[in-house]
Amino acid sequence: MGHSEVSPLQNVLVTEDAIVAPLSEVRVWGDMSHFELRDAASGSGPGPTDRGTLAPIGDERRPPGESHAPEDFYHRIGQLTRTLHDAMRELGYHEHLADARDNLPDARDRLAYIARLTGDAAEKVLNSVDRARSLQDEISQRAQALRTRWAAVAAYTAGGGRATPAGAALVEETCEFLATLGSQAELTNAILTEIMMAQDFHDLTGQVIRKVVHLAQTLEEQLVKLLIDANQGEVRRKVEAEGLEGPLVNGEDRSDVVADQAGVDALLASLGF
Amino acid sequence: MSNEPRFLIVDDFSTMRRIIRNLLKEIGFNNAEEAEDGVVALNLLKNGKFDFIVSDINMPNMDGFALLKNVRADENLKGIPFLMVTAEAKKEDIVSAAQNGANGYIVKPFTKATLEEKVQKIMQKHS
Repeated sequence: MGHSEVSPLQNVLVTEDAIVAPLSEVRVWGDMSHFELRDAASGSGPGPTDRGTLAPIGDERRPPGESHAPEDFYHRIGQLTRTLHDAMRELGYHEHLADARDNLPDARDRLAYIARLTGDAAEKVLNSVDRARSLQDEISQRAQALRTRWAAVAAYTAGGGRATPAGAALVEETCEFLATLGSQAELTNAILTEIMMAQDFHDLTGQVIRKVVHLAQTLEEQLVKLLIDANQGEVRRKVEAEGLEGPLVNGEDRSDVVADQAGVDALLASLGF
Repeated sequence: MSNEPRFLIVDDFSTMRRIIRNLLKEIGFNNAEEAEDGVVALNLLKNGKFDFIVSDINMPNMDGFALLKNVRADENLKGIPFLMVTAEAKKEDIVSAAQNGANGYIVKPFTKATLEEKVQKIMQKHS
């Protein structure tokens, strides 16, 4: 006589053949006591052609009157969750979760710190690019003006005007140099554009950091809920967050540190240094 | 009064707004305003005349898709060319942008040549 079972988490019917199949083919989640046994031969389970197959729980062959109400499903999930919580407490995992929860805000602050620093760095580079481009434009404009004037001198010396051979050569060389400045200015501007474009890393990495921060926040909220559930009836131990070594990331929120160099100087001054 | 096209650059990262503004200047468009999200952008659009919108997608308050929908739903704004410049390379986003009336879509990181090509192409279509 064949049997079939209903897995509460997989939403599938598991036939007798599936149950005796190799372990690698059948995975059972949760408490076996929650499974429901049904008789295939009596017509209440899958027929002969279905033996050894998995069928959806919503299958129309499910016998009438058999309970698969959503409340029942959620009740089972609740039982499993309770069991998981108890196991976590017995194994001491809730303390690890508490540590993880307490370190998440620090991790978020550090990511925000990275985003801020990289943003500041990108802005500094862009400011420098703007200044360099401005200087470059000014040099180009002055070179163009000088080139026009030196071209007149070159025409004068070439026409037999008074000039020593060395003077004539100098005029010619100066004109050539001024002529090359235009193309060099274009090249420099192209390089400056490349430097500017490279600063888009701030936008791209910033978006990734933002997503990770959001993920950490969600994880933290879930951990807090989990810890509250796991510690019902007890006074929860407040674990002090252990700050990681490294640069200051949220100095303005702390009274035991100074926010910047001005704070350092003021503190030293107040101590008479 | 200058008849140079006026751009609105919408991005929550100031670095990217600045890069796009400088690139537009290099391309030859010197008239540009900036907004850090869709809400600020929509306010600027309703209180001034703009000829071209370059917008990111992921932004707080109002994202690029919502801004696009608002622009296309507004009788006074719906004709403004709208170019998406975003790190989102998902097909569904690109399709959604097109379906909602975006005129172009650039994925970050991009080059000056790409921006120039898209802007010029869109402008030619709207001229």
